[in-house]
Amino acid sequence: MKHRSLLTAVLIAIVFPAIAPAGAQQASSPAGNVEHGKALYRETGCYECHGLAGQGAPMTGPRVSRTQLPLDAFLNQLRHPVNQMPPYEAAVLSDSDAADIYAYLEQIPAPPGPNSIPLLKLTR
Amino acid sequence: MGKSDRRRFLKGVAAVAGGATVAIPKGTSAQTFRPANGTTALPSAAMQSREREQPAEVERLTTEKTGSDFMVDVCKTLNLDYIAACPGSTFRGLQESFINYGANKHPEWLTCLHEEVSVGMAHGYAKVAGKPMAAIMHGTVGTQHAAMAIYNAYCDRVPIILFTGNAGPLNERRPGVEWFHSVQDGAATVRDFVKWDDYPKSLQHFAESTVRGYALACAEPSGPVFLVADSKLQEDPLAEREARKLRIPRLTMPSQAAGDPNALREAAKMMVAADHPVIIADRYARSQAAMDNLVELAELLHAPVIDNRSRMNMPNTHYLCQSERAGTLIGQADCILSLEPVDLFGQLNSMRDQIERTDMPRTKADAKVISISTHDLFVHSNYQDFQRYVGADLNIAADAQTTLPFLIEAVQREMSASGRNAGEMRGEKLRQAYHDAIDRARTEATFAWDARPISTARLYMELWGQLQKEDWALVSDGDFSSRWPHRLWPLDKHYRFIGGPGGYGVGYQPVAALGAALAHRDAGGRVVINVEGDGEFNMAPHTLWTAAHHRIPYLTIIQNNRAYHQEAMHIQRMANRHNRGVRSAALGTSIDNPNIDYAKIATGYGALGIGPIEDPSDLAEAFRKGIAAVKTGQPVLIDVITQPR
Ligand code: HEC
Repeated sequence: MKHRSLLTAVLIAIVFPAIAPAGAQQASSPAGNVEHGKALYRETGCYECHGLAGQGAPMTGPRVSRTQLPLDAFLNQLRHPVNQMPPYEAAVLSDSDAADIYAYLEQIPAPPGPNSIPLLKLTR
Repeated sequence: MGKSDRRRFLKGVAAVAGGATVAIPKGTSAQTFRPANGTTALPSAAMQSREREQPAEVERLTTEKTGSDFMVDVCKTLNLDYIAACPGSTFRGLQESFINYGANKHPEWLTCLHEEVSVGMAHGYAKVAGKPMAAIMHGTVGTQHAAMAIYNAYCDRVPIILFTGNAGPLNERRPGVEWFHSVQDGAATVRDFVKWDDYPKSLQHFAESTVRGYALACAEPSGPVFLVADSKLQEDPLAEREARKLRIPRLTMPSQAAGDPNALREAAKMMVAADHPVIIADRYARSQAAMDNLVELAELLHAPVIDNRSRMNMPNTHYLCQSERAGTLIGQADCILSLEPVDLFGQLNSMRDQIERTDMPRTKADAKVISISTHDLFVHSNYQDFQRYVGADLNIAADAQTTLPFLIEAVQREMSASGRNAGEMRGEKLRQAYHDAIDRARTEATFAWDARPISTARLYMELWGQLQKEDWALVSDGDFSSRWPHRLWPLDKHYRFIGGPGGYGVGYQPVAALGAALAHRDAGGRVVINVEGDGEFNMAPHTLWTAAHHRIPYLTIIQNNRAYHQEAMHIQRMANRHNRGVRSAALGTSIDNPNIDYAKIATGYGALGIGPIEDPSDLAEAFRKGIAAVKTGQPVLIDVITQPR
């Protein structure tokens, strides 16, 4: 869902022009707690729309595994979702909890390439 | 049958004891029980038995020809292969006539364990067989049970011939239950979502209304029709003299409505003039020929097609099938041709599900929209399945499938008249975009490839690994499984796929799959695949018994995310919106603790049950075994513990 991530980034830039555009220097380093982030990702319902492995699903939410968004933009998506995603305000998910989720998503190991999976060579 | 000289009438207990039979002249009715003392009070059991010991009159207790026999004669003229039912006394006469008088052939009686199954299977059946089957429901309560399945079929514009029984005049109703199962107006419960209904008052009326009902059900937009078979009409003897007067009208199938030639000429002009024409096909194709026509039109115009999946419309093996690029294509289009849109507004706009619901066009402001659809030919008021109104630039009220050959001709004429064929330029780009979309899907599929719970991509590709050499058909829709079948499998023929539930009433999937599998069985040995959620399955698990009983083979895979997951997301949304805790969405939506053992349930109903499968590396063997069993005629269920979507 590359086009969707792009759209998200663009829309964030349009709706919240004060925020640094994707790719700019991150405001804070993502030194979050990965284990805590993993637990929160499940407990606060991110997995419902983005999948337990952050893989995404076309009808519910895009892939967030190995997110390419800078932390600022990530936070902004939680606080002021560009479109359908329900908002997560600080009252229910603090900045530091969000940073933990971010740290977890960022470090998920890269999957094998599709050409290394024999079954994925059988597609249409 | 039915000759008066072969009629035997029992005389009553005393006569039977003596072995004597007495013939009564034709047409004499001696059925009515009258208390001996002439009071109006209902007779006690003692009075009844006294009455039988001393018969005041010769009571007629048997007959060889009834109204229900004639009803069967009517049904036999209608190309109905099956009638499905959960038994109910209001149609006992008809049931007995179908199985004995009608020899249980054309239609064959199918036993279901809930009326939602009888009707829902007819829904799935019609989409594969291309013709309706019948379902019959008990008066009142049976119709109530069936209502949601009828609604799904109505929303999906699928023909079904529905019957119900209803007790006769009040003085002939047995006290108690028969009253509870009687109603003034049998169709009232479902009238808003059937295409037509009638309560025939005579056998001739039944014949005409049933034949009319069949024809109406099949006229596009098709839909369920509902007929009350009055119990007295069913059960009353049919005298030879009366029978001779009855006529069953010839069934004339309607030809379907094609679009106005002037409008088609205009549509052709608009499409040929467009730089970025896009075709959206939704509830469009009922046949392979319709699919072939769509390919021809798309190739002619070099227009990408978005298959919205309410039917199998466009082979996804063709480079012009670009459904995965819907957002981009609709955003770029300068002319959109929408074929049988279920929701034209939703195709052209999006709406944000936040506190303030705002909608936004997905199209450019000056994009032209042409719709060809039966939508406006049939709209009811109460249920809102008609969706939001859109003033298209050209709204052609016609059956798109019937219209397409004429549109193709109009486009050909317009192209040679205008000398314009800008489309060729688009071809190469579209080919590249097609391959890119597949590559993207393959990459997305890797992301949870080894995950536990098992990813839906892995589920579908492990299944494909076992299925690819078979002649297969998918009877479930993949919208709740990240659309993997449409993104990764080759859906190249019309029978590969049947679209979705219509009204999104949960419980469609298990029962529609049964009917679809029946039609596929009759069409000749296709391996039928039904992937459904655990929530869906739980609405009608006993469907598997009907499958086992009638030897209807198919492979059901439970995509078991142990939740009503769609609802979990809704509750999450509300919790986030209300800012008072975001960790409780599972309460009231999860289906765990205890976990349900679906394989055991399947075994209990006489199907082969496999699972739960929790390790993705166990999938291949489970699917291999399941498909092998299906090929021996068995229904099979495999329980796979999966990711939410
Ligand atoms: C009810 C569904 C839902 C839930 C729950 C949800 N999201 Fe989202 N998310 C979406 C959707 C849909 C989008 C696409 C953008 C939009 O519509 O706002 C999205 C977008 C995102 C994006 C941007 C992805 C990109 O690259 O463009 C991130 C990051 C994200 N979500 C993280 C989270 C996190 C972290 C949580 C939990 C704290 C969460 N989401 C919970 C539905 C959801």
